[in-house]
Amino acid sequence: MLLNKKGFKLPRVEKEKFITLIRLGLEYDNQKMLFSVKNYNNINQLRDTLQDILKSEISFTQTCNICNIDFGCSTCKYAKACPTKDLPFSCVCNQCLRPKKQIQQQLF
Amino acid sequence: MKNDLWVEKYRPTSIKDIIGNEEAKTVFTEWLENKRPTKKAVLLYGPPGVGKTTLVNAAANEYKFRIIEMNASDTRSEKAVNRIANPATSFTGLDKFSSEIKGNMLFMDEVDGIAGNEDRGGVNAIIKIIENTRTPIIMAANDCELEKLRPLKKLCLLIRFQQTRIPLIIMALKKICEQEHITYEFAALEKIATNSQGDVRSAINDLQGLSEEGKTLTEQDTLALGSRSKDISMYDTLKSYFATKNIAEAVSLLNFSNVEYDDLLMAIGDNIPRRHSNPVDLAEAYNYLSQADVFRGKIGTENWHLLKYVYNNLAQAAAVNPESYKPFEFISPPIRVITLFWTKSKRTMLNSICTKISAQCHISKYETKMIYIPYLRLMLQQKKKANTLIKWLKLTSEEVTFLTSLKMF
Repeated sequence: MLLNKKGFKLPRVEKEKFITLIRLGLEYDNQKMLFSVKNYNNINQLRDTLQDILKSEISFTQTCNICNIDFGCSTCKYAKACPTKDLPFSCVCNQCLRPKKQIQQQLF
Repeated sequence: MKNDLWVEKYRPTSIKDIIGNEEAKTVFTEWLENKRPTKKAVLLYGPPGVGKTTLVNAAANEYKFRIIEMNASDTRSEKAVNRIANPATSFTGLDKFSSEIKGNMLFMDEVDGIAGNEDRGGVNAIIKIIENTRTPIIMAANDCELEKLRPLKKLCLLIRFQQTRIPLIIMALKKICEQEHITYEFAALEKIATNSQGDVRSAINDLQGLSEEGKTLTEQDTLALGSRSKDISMYDTLKSYFATKNIAEAVSLLNFSNVEYDDLLMAIGDNIPRRHSNPVDLAEAYNYLSQADVFRGKIGTENWHLLKYVYNNLAQAAAVNPESYKPFEFISPPIRVITLFWTKSKRTMLNSICTKISAQCHISKYETKMIYIPYLRLMLQQKKKANTLIKWLKLTSEEVTFLTSLKMF
């Protein structure tokens, strides 16, 4: 399941679970009724807790540093070898990484 | 110069040029821009080569701060910290008014390396400086879970750095190749980036080591690269440990883990009941764990040749019925460590009472704790006799309340 880090919905959870999620770094917008990731220090525990709630594997969307589109890690060929599955929430999409494509934005 | 290190040559000078860790960069700049931050210091932590030091240097450059740096090569004893850091954080230089420089920024790199006699009192001195500072204090560490950093962590805003992603490293390597006029095979850059395991610094060093001017960098050239091993933290160790499919996998994981053996034994012991619902599997896993514990005890401080048996037994415990594995929430850190942490104030109080009584009654603290305290607790409940006893033992009202409310030992 692909979650948009800027805002995603969750099924109704118990009070204790909700407190755990907030402690682990989620933020809840009462008006939009959406959760978003505020603190990234416990991202691994947060992902595990969310997986437990949603009962399926989750991953967060990534934003391409070059073309700015949102994409999932499942489309990346380095997903298996990737040292960080969740953070940072920005990366380079497959299209921008193609060998012959010129670097459009200075990254370094 | 031809012999320049590319790591230094291409070190980013502005925050936006640093690759990866966007969230960490945002939190850090927000803290730096905040004139009245809730935390006076920041602790940047994460694996090596991901841009912690670079971020501090780039931020100092961008926000016009003068960096006063203390790193692992300096002695960081109480005296040394006070000598260097105190003036840097308490006074404003006169040049602040005449130049662009906004002020000082104290940067203490590798604070997890403060250890031993040479650095005695260093952490306490840093804490005092943080409490009175007028300038930003930034610290960097690879491992922030260390016991000695616990008091520091309370005073700091913690910012975690992650390893840099492979595509981001590839883009950085491509950029360097273009600037250095090096032709390359894309697969070679892929191999270097994958092998670096998220460490940009080592990837750039590898690229510099392998490339030659006028020659194409091929995938064949990268075969010489050895694979890098990385330390694995407690959480990741437990996660991979319980998901392991065979003994060999578990042994290799344990070899890479940087968790203390005793902490690991306790943490595995706490989590095994969550891992196995079948009592037979649970008993088998505990059996291996107890054998590992026996060998750990036999090692003591010198018989390290027995460590392999600890690992083998732990690996066998991990490999009990691997098919039944389902993800679960870990207990980490170990329950014993958490309990000791929560009961620290109680234990300190009890110890101070025992010291008083043992001096007055000419007995050991252990005897006081085990024999006298239970009776004393009962005696203090009789108000008439209690006063004389309290006076004679010189107990404070706090200590009396503590003793009377004491439930068990």
